Amino acid sequence: MKGYVKYYGQKVAWYVLTLIIAVALNFFLPRMMPGDPVRAIVNEATTGMTNASAIQQIEQQYYERFGLDKSLPEQFLTYVGNLFKGDLGTSFTQYPRPVTDVIGESVIWTLALQIPAILVGWFIGNILGAVAAYLRKGFDKAVMPLFMFLSNMPAFGMAIIMVWVFAVTLKIAPLSGGYGYDLLPSFTPEFIVSLISHYALPFFSIILITIGGQAIGMRSMSIYELNADYVKYSRFLGIKDRKIIGYVFRNAMLPQVTGLALSLGTMIGGNIVAETIFSYPGIGTTLLAGITGGDYPLISGSTLIITLMVLVANLVIEILYGVIDPRVKAAQQDS
Amino acid sequence: MLHQIKQVFRSPKFIVGFIIFMIILLMAIFYPLISSVGPMQSISKAPFTAPGTYVNIEDAVRDTGGQLTLELPIVENRIEDALTADEKQKMITWLEDNGGVAAGELSADDIETLINTWNSTYDPTLVVQGMLTSAREEYKRIDIRVKSVLSVTGVTIAEQGEDGLEVTGTIDYKRFINVNDVANTFTFPLGADNFGRDVLTELTSAILTSLRVGLIAGLIATAIGLALGLLAGYVGGLVDNLITFITNLFTVIPSFVLLILISNSISSSARGVEVVAMVIGFTAWPWTCRSVRSQVISLRNRDHVNLSKLSGHSMPKIILRDILPYVASYVVMALILQISSGILAEAQLSMLGLGPSTTEVATLGLMMNWSQKFSAWQVGAWWAFLPVILSIAFISFSLNLMNTGLDQVFNPQLRDS
Amino acid sequence: MGKVMLEVKELTTKYVTRFNEDVYAVDHVSLKIEEGKSLGIAGESGCGKSTLALSLMGYYFSPLHYTSGDIIIDGVNISGMKPDEVRKSILGNEIAYIPQAAMNALNPTQKIIRFVEDVIHAHDPKKSKKEIYDMAVERFKVLGLPPEVLQRHAVELSGGMKQRTVIAISTILSPKVLIADEPSSALDVTSQKMVIKMMRELMEKGFIKSMIFITHELPLLYNVTDDIMVMYAGQIVEKGSAKEMVFDPVHPYSKGLMGSIIVPEAGTREVKLEAIPGTPPNLKNPPDGCRFAARCKYAKLECRTYDVPEKEFRDGRMYRCIHDVEYLKEVYGRDE
Repeated sequence: MKGYVKYYGQKVAWYVLTLIIAVALNFFLPRMMPGDPVRAIVNEATTGMTNASAIQQIEQQYYERFGLDKSLPEQFLTYVGNLFKGDLGTSFTQYPRPVTDVIGESVIWTLALQIPAILVGWFIGNILGAVAAYLRKGFDKAVMPLFMFLSNMPAFGMAIIMVWVFAVTLKIAPLSGGYGYDLLPSFTPEFIVSLISHYALPFFSIILITIGGQAIGMRSMSIYELNADYVKYSRFLGIKDRKIIGYVFRNAMLPQVTGLALSLGTMIGGNIVAETIFSYPGIGTTLLAGITGGDYPLISGSTLIITLMVLVANLVIEILYGVIDPRVKAAQQDS
Repeated sequence: MLHQIKQVFRSPKFIVGFIIFMIILLMAIFYPLISSVGPMQSISKAPFTAPGTYVNIEDAVRDTGGQLTLELPIVENRIEDALTADEKQKMITWLEDNGGVAAGELSADDIETLINTWNSTYDPTLVVQGMLTSAREEYKRIDIRVKSVLSVTGVTIAEQGEDGLEVTGTIDYKRFINVNDVANTFTFPLGADNFGRDVLTELTSAILTSLRVGLIAGLIATAIGLALGLLAGYVGGLVDNLITFITNLFTVIPSFVLLILISNSISSSARGVEVVAMVIGFTAWPWTCRSVRSQVISLRNRDHVNLSKLSGHSMPKIILRDILPYVASYVVMALILQISSGILAEAQLSMLGLGPSTTEVATLGLMMNWSQKFSAWQVGAWWAFLPVILSIAFISFSLNLMNTGLDQVFNPQLRDS
Repeated sequence: MGKVMLEVKELTTKYVTRFNEDVYAVDHVSLKIEEGKSLGIAGESGCGKSTLALSLMGYYFSPLHYTSGDIIIDGVNISGMKPDEVRKSILGNEIAYIPQAAMNALNPTQKIIRFVEDVIHAHDPKKSKKEIYDMAVERFKVLGLPPEVLQRHAVELSGGMKQRTVIAISTILSPKVLIADEPSSALDVTSQKMVIKMMRELMEKGFIKSMIFITHELPLLYNVTDDIMVMYAGQIVEKGSAKEMVFDPVHPYSKGLMGSIIVPEAGTREVKLEAIPGTPPNLKNPPDGCRFAARCKYAKLECRTYDVPEKEFRDGRMYRCIHDVEYLKEVYGRDE
């Protein structure tokens, strides 16, 4: 038991440290760029604005936010202090809404879309990969190149193809958004139907992309496991093939869990770009709006929340992995 | 070495990947050279011109030299072209509802009977109870189109003379002209984009630019990753701990986020293609570093390395002579993957509007970004985005295939898979 | 004379390579083991002894294929049975196997008790978990394994524990024949002795009725088995009681094997044979005549032309060489 506490304690501590560094990067990276980015940002944010008082307000916002008169470390402390209060500043493009509000609203959409889609895609991909490894021959030869191609398709590319085929050409799915533009979020059947129909395309496009990569990984892991000594031994003890396939599947799947953790950052990044294709009201679309509108606090808040999502997902996977894989458990007890 | 290269070219996966990649690369190098227009030259004045060959109408009408009469079902083809399936169905509905035609008697496939029945039955003056005016107007428009298509009187050509219009000739409806005889024609093999640029020329030049972005990013990432990986793996101790910590950090903090943060901070005037490529390279090295490090650690205590150490060779010499050759194949594989992910990273950044800020050259990402801004898929202009997506997918697919092929040759225990 | 537990008549099996070539790794092998007896099979790597172990179980999967011959376990001929039937009623139940790499023989992510349950349920689906647990605890105790081992995963056990666990699981259904394929090759000398002692104990207690022990070290068999067979290039070249085989080998190959130290199979392919130069023939294309002739220093021209039959020169003693026993004895005496 003590081993567990130590193991997970270390893991959590490491992730907290990573988060601190991520926050620092979020703060310092833009400031380390040559020139005066803050002034450039102010200029960019105010171009095209005619309302003098609004321009002044934004300028003041920036100066207060960045505390330009203070030293960098001082500015950083203020920034972290504000973070703890849940204050990420005020959005310019959606003035006067606080950034936390805007992000809080969109992050739910992203989570509700990506978590189920990645999990389902991961699961189906693993099953197909294992089946391909077990059957080999025809199924394998026909399906694997397709999966390989799918896994190399950029997520936004798949999204665009889905929109073009199903929304524009066949007109069987809505073109964009998270729900019908004429509806207000509520628990009416009408709204829920609209919600689901808008969910389908982004959901399936993420699943398709995820399946490809996972199936390929699972296939080679399964082939490796099928040749393991315990498979032969189990056979010679008279255990049925179906049972042995169960062992192989489980053992091949465990490394796939770590694989998921390692590729999560890239995956989420790609999916966030794909979100913008559907104008899905998630973080991706918010980020794009921030970039297009030169809304600096919104961009910074979005990148921070994306980092946080990836970190938490990684931590969850690592903890889960420690529980399900006895090999890790053994390592914990040793330490 | 030669033996290994031979081995590589015996791997079917590598060969398929190599062939796809070479086809794309050769297209990208040679097509812009043979294309008659520049990649960034706006030719069409309308956005999203569909693929096809465009013939100058005046040339076609004036050219009388090569004209000839062809006996072909001209009217039928014109009807097919002029009426959509929807419109044919509307005609059938009108005839069944108001023309006394029995339901099921007419079909959209039997166009001749439909047109004949229409011409004899349709009455534009008939006011049907309950029919909206807009619907009535639409039927009138269909009728006019049917009548004009059926007309076989040919076209009369008139020119503006001193006393008004002067008829200079007529063209019979069966007259044809050889496209080669028309002085001005232009072919858009893949249509034109929102700026009216020829997509194929633009795409091939964009592929070349994107490959350059991938190569710059890949080389930078591989160089940094290799240097740090060698250092961490060979020196070990504190240096290793520090480098491992940093690599672990950046495998968890998504490089995508770093890319956005950095690109957003570079003023758009400074954000050229090379700068974006460099930024991608500087955020992508941790993967390479990780795998090089683990390779070096497994090599560090091999006999030949120990022998070199005992012989008193210097560290750079040992690394260069006794370690580098053994990790070379991994480095090549890592570089290939870095190139492919660099191309993808550029595309994603550009989609968010943080890609190269230029109008001088196109990249695959910028082409996608323009398509998105001008709603290419909403208007169904598939030629403006589909070739770009497929190019990205095929480049990445071919590079990954080559990588898998190399992996099978250099890591024989995986050969079965 | 005891009851015959396993009788093998003229068993021949082959490997089919990727290029569709047949490799006869077990070539007309006959053997017989009585109840309470053990048989050792010795030979260099690649002589077909591991293939023989797999072939004896009567269950074949690609690339190994059955060609001809009979395997009779306690009076029942299993070579005519359907593979599924063999798997359900014979494997693990009548005939059990201890693999070469015991270290990797257990599924790393499964609790030992779950695996024991799977093994027993494969033959007797009605047995309750409680019965299985009690059975396992008892059998594990015989091998000096505490009951806690059952709740562990393979990765949590030490090498020696894994070895004993594998032996315990293989013998849990009290098989009539136990086939151990170099179960000790990865262990140090003390652990090897332990393993051998445990297996003898299992037989004395009646948990297993007979045993086949396969190794590349002929001298090791002297302490373990009643009889010894020497295998070369897929064929049996000599068999007899352990004592006679070790102290009085007749065939030049057995003679050489006794005086040689052979590098274990892992690692390098070269075999350091002091007394026997050269390497075994390629079984894809076996030579005419005596298969050992190319490496035999007593070989004559006719050795390479005529097939040599098995010759029985005393009760239960057989060898495969054209020379007379007397002649061989004489030349051995001269050489020493």
